[in-house]
Amino acid sequence: MSKEFQAIVVGAGPAGSSAALTMARAGLDVALVERGNFPGEKNMFGGLLHRMTSIEEVFPDFWERAPLERHIAKKGTTFMTDAASFHVQHETASFDRTPYNGYTVFRPKFDRWLAEEAVKAGVTLINRSTVEDVVLKNNRVQGVTIVGRQGKLSAPVVVAADGVLSFTALKAGLRRPGFNPDQMAVGIKALFDLPKEVIDDRFGLVRDQGFANEYVGCTGGVRGGGFLYTNYDTISVGLVVHLSSLRASGKTPYDLLNAFLEQPQFTKLLKGGRLMEYSAHVIPEGGYAMIPELYGDGILVAGDAAALCNATGVNLEGINLASHSGILAAKTVVEAHAENDFSRKALKRYKDRLDLSWVMKDLKGFRNAPKMLHIDRIYNEYPELVCSMMEHVYRIDGTPKVSIPKLIMREVKEKVGIKNAFSDLLTAWRAL
Amino acid sequence: MNIDEIFDFTSFTIDREPHIVLDDKVCAGCDVRGCTNCCPARCYTWSEAEQKMTFVYDGCLECGSCYVVCQRNAFTRWRYPRGGFGVSFRMT
Ligand SMILES: Cc1cc2nc3c(=O)[nH]c(=O)nc-3n(C[C@H](O)[C@H](O)[C@H](O)COP(=O)(O)OP(=O)(O)OC[C@H]3O[C@@H](n4cnc5c(N)ncnc54)[C@H](O)[C@@H]3O)c2cc1C
Ligand code: SF4
Ligand code: SF4
Repeated sequence: MSKEFQAIVVGAGPAGSSAALTMARAGLDVALVERGNFPGEKNMFGGLLHRMTSIEEVFPDFWERAPLERHIAKKGTTFMTDAASFHVQHETASFDRTPYNGYTVFRPKFDRWLAEEAVKAGVTLINRSTVEDVVLKNNRVQGVTIVGRQGKLSAPVVVAADGVLSFTALKAGLRRPGFNPDQMAVGIKALFDLPKEVIDDRFGLVRDQGFANEYVGCTGGVRGGGFLYTNYDTISVGLVVHLSSLRASGKTPYDLLNAFLEQPQFTKLLKGGRLMEYSAHVIPEGGYAMIPELYGDGILVAGDAAALCNATGVNLEGINLASHSGILAAKTVVEAHAENDFSRKALKRYKDRLDLSWVMKDLKGFRNAPKMLHIDRIYNEYPELVCSMMEHVYRIDGTPKVSIPKLIMREVKEKVGIKNAFSDLLTAWRAL
Repeated sequence: MNIDEIFDFTSFTIDREPHIVLDDKVCAGCDVRGCTNCCPARCYTWSEAEQKMTFVYDGCLECGSCYVVCQRNAFTRWRYPRGGFGVSFRMT
């Protein structure tokens, strides 16, 4: 196989498909290269598709067309110890109306749908093809080589949208060879089968309402957190743990997951559920500090490949940033074609566009979030503090009651120390 | 839950050609071996008795953790499986 295109996109994830779709709609002849048997076959994530305003511009009836599970009407956070949990929750009628604020989805379905929409717009989708290298001519990227179906594709410009480890960006010299495990987390997930009615009852949902919950304190002291998301008739649960902290702990992610699933309050939520699938993937969580070179001669980098992922500890946003950056990369390529200039200088406009967009503004605004996420006390001492304090508040045992401010002070002194608590509060304040 | 079960619920099309190749001499001299506890698919096993690293790529979830945590660059090859091979997620 050897063919010419006007642009090549590596990777049919949300970044790649959004880029390819946008270029095809503008009339370019685009190849979208994907290593899976179909787009999404290799992709997993926690489960929340946050609202994608840029995709809503492409598909005004997005929520009717896309293969979505439930829309998120309720969000919660649970502080957890081995024996206790304290839960806070937010629910609003506005999240229960279109345009919905977020949905649960399955990547093998969602990514496939988005790529098929790109094909409808004229994109040539090339599945089962792992890009091995970039083709350089006069130091400019002019195509890619493929293993699987052997071959070579040529184009004056390539969009690297091949996800977090982006070997395409590496081969083009845009990212450094190694990663810093401090800036990376691994997510593992198990999918459980439960009838829709059971899910509705158990989580207090009606119609297609969904529930998204994050857990703090369930990772055996390893930096990270847990999640539970309701799909139509399955439940996604899992953990996201930072790799440097995991490595140092000597613990394995599946043992941590098992302990999480066996916590007594948690067990009830999954009761009767049948295990269906297990998956894992690394996540770029270094934020703004981690972003590699975004463009070079004949190449642009979008989505996770460019570390455009925003983990603030409250939300983990990736798909929406990936899709938006893909669209901005595509717009830049369309301009480059109009001017027939694919030089680094011409493609810099992509970075200018990103800098002006909410993607970079969010990443910049939350650039201290990774620092906060590295406070180890968040993952052990604080959940214990919260749970033990609430136990004192609720327990009635014939001893005189302590006022809540006093209780807080006592617990803080005992569990973290005043000085630490103060410095953590400051770090958190700066991060958020 | 019996944790061993969890590994049986994911589908694979195994390639005869491994996508990850280790230089086990490097591993023998490694003092961290983060791969053994960070790999979510239990692909790495260190035998203290034999002083030997065993790596099995069959159940690899292509997550990237070993690539990130190995600080000695023990890989003579680390790429994704050839197109069409490797892990296959159905829902997730
Ligand atoms: C556990 C976990 C939980 C997450 N939770 C959320 C969440 O709830 N909400 C959210 O918005 N985000 C979440 N994210 C982040 C989100 O998944 C990513 O930010 C998003 O998938 C990035 O999209 P992308 O298109 O840039 O890359 P990817 O989705 O990784 O797509 C890359 C594509 O490129 C293909 N590819 C890779 N290399 C090659 C190659 N050499 N040749 C050909 N094809 C190749 C891959 O098969 C894949 O299809 C989570 C991530 C993880 C791991
Ligand atoms: S961390 Fe790297 S060098 Fe050390 S044992 Fe694992 S693969 Fe080998
Ligand atoms: S990529 Fe992930 S699953 Fe595969 S061997 Fe490395 S750590 Fe294990």
